[in-house]
Amino acid sequence: MLQNKYLFNQSSVSLEIVGLPDYSNNENKDNISIISQWKLMIIDKPVIEGNLDHLRSIMKAFYFYSNSFLNDEIESYESDLIDIKSENFYTHILLLKSSKPNVKPLNITIGNSVFADIISCFDQLSSSNKVKNIYSKEYKSIKNKRNLFLSNKKSISKFLLPPLVSLISIFLVSSAFIYIYDDNDKFSFLNNKNILISIKSISKLL
Amino acid sequence: MRNSFNNNKIKLEEFEALIQLTAEMSKVLYPYIRQILQSRDDLIRNPKPWTEFKSRYIELISERFNTNSMKVKRLIDSSCNDEVFINILLTLALCISDDGSQKLRTILFNY
Repeated sequence: MLQNKYLFNQSSVSLEIVGLPDYSNNENKDNISIISQWKLMIIDKPVIEGNLDHLRSIMKAFYFYSNSFLNDEIESYESDLIDIKSENFYTHILLLKSSKPNVKPLNITIGNSVFADIISCFDQLSSSNKVKNIYSKEYKSIKNKRNLFLSNKKSISKFLLPPLVSLISIFLVSSAFIYIYDDNDKFSFLNNKNILISIKSISKLL
Repeated sequence: MRNSFNNNKIKLEEFEALIQLTAEMSKVLYPYIRQILQSRDDLIRNPKPWTEFKSRYIELISERFNTNSMKVKRLIDSSCNDEVFINILLTLALCISDDGSQKLRTILFNY
């Protein structure tokens, strides 16, 4: 069966996707839903290739790293297949770990221009109508710093515990005062009632 | 930070329009943005695009911004503004996709 092949180019980087359409889903014969092979070719660098899981892992790493790099959050991303860290503000080091045994990790150093090209190729791939089954939206969504802070359960408990304790303590102390005040109030109310009765009786007498 | 006494508050529609305009401009200007970034990556062999961009950008900031402000002073200080300029260029370079305006908006909200 003849496989489809699509190429996404951006300056010094090209991404080649090879695969088949999902005929069981009545898809167009030009589409790719089952990716059998992909290649990321960077000028003057070794070719990076693998299966669909590798592609997803690499896309996730690049999107996550780019978001955090632009937000000045973290300077490295680590996973089972790829590590990305920044040497300085214009050099990024990729460490590609092979899933095959006895294959040494591959170290590639890229600049900001190549980094932008790679992200552009991934953007083209994820917005392409021809290649499906990539699920890149989850990697591309940039989480707000505040949301990241709230998504961390430890930080939520740290954030909520002090005001909660203070509110409970205020409630306990104030409830004790209310109890005392109520007693006084009842007493004063009874006094007032007695005074009123006495006034009424005086007026009757008069 | 701007060198103006008018405190013009931007409307949401204007903000959205500016973001779309910037994303579309960055698509068109990507080859130049990339060239400047590449020059910074390889400053010893090809320093011209980066130095020209930097000097022109500093010139524009000095013309339009309030140079008495400490933030602006730090921005036009050549010894420490590389990171900010690279961040700006890289942000524009990463927003050239079809959903580039959405990406740019999220980056700006996170900033």
